[in-house]
Amino acid sequence: MAFAWKAAGLTYNRYVSVASRVVRRSLKEDKRIAAERRGESDLRFAKWENGKQGENKSLNTANEAAVADAAGHQSS
Amino acid sequence: MSSLRIARAALQVRPAAIARPLQRRGYADVASDKIKLSLALPHQAIYKSQDVVQVNMPAETGEMGVLANHVPSIEQLKPGLVEVIEESGGSKQFFLSGGFAVVQPGSQLSINAVEGFPLEDFSAEAVRNQIAEAQKIAGGSGSEQDIAEAKIELEVLESLQAALK
Repeated sequence: MAFAWKAAGLTYNRYVSVASRVVRRSLKEDKRIAAERRGESDLRFAKWENGKQGENKSLNTANEAAVADAAGHQSS
Repeated sequence: MSSLRIARAALQVRPAAIARPLQRRGYADVASDKIKLSLALPHQAIYKSQDVVQVNMPAETGEMGVLANHVPSIEQLKPGLVEVIEESGGSKQFFLSGGFAVVQPGSQLSINAVEGFPLEDFSAEAVRNQIAEAQKIAGGSGSEQDIAEAKIELEVLESLQAALK
């Protein structure tokens, strides 16, 4: 099956998280506030090289960059 | 005389022993017309192996209804309305954000999704506002990923809007 999001370089995980995010945002006010907390994630990582800690990076932004990068390779 | 009594006792025992296998239930009796549904989200189990009559769901391959003794299969679900017809005859509708349905042998159905809510929890106004917003992004000049994500949102929102009507 050919999905449009797959052609754009998105993974199934990304697809389903976008779909879930929009479902949460469509809820009535009281339920939405409780539900939207589930969509948040914040994780930082650093690469250690030669015994030194590298730059602290956010996993979410690193993932987005990786997706954009993968899509660039696919289309070219 | 005593040997006769033993013989009679043996005669009395036997009918009970024969009667037992007759009471045993066969496969035909056990097979019910209900399907055991488990509808699970990461944070909540809406149904936990509960007997229901039928489940209608939007698979990527098309709308499907699952009854008892369905052929085992795995289906990817589109974001859409799942209808559960319960034993009492009433039906419940949930909007799921997309996931997988696994029909297992022995009339068991497991549905996994990330988000799922009853229809009355949604706000038609929020859906309308988001459609306008997503259309703007989908038709704009953002990156390929932004446009793809806006199109996913549109797909979900349009399905939700159709379900709310």
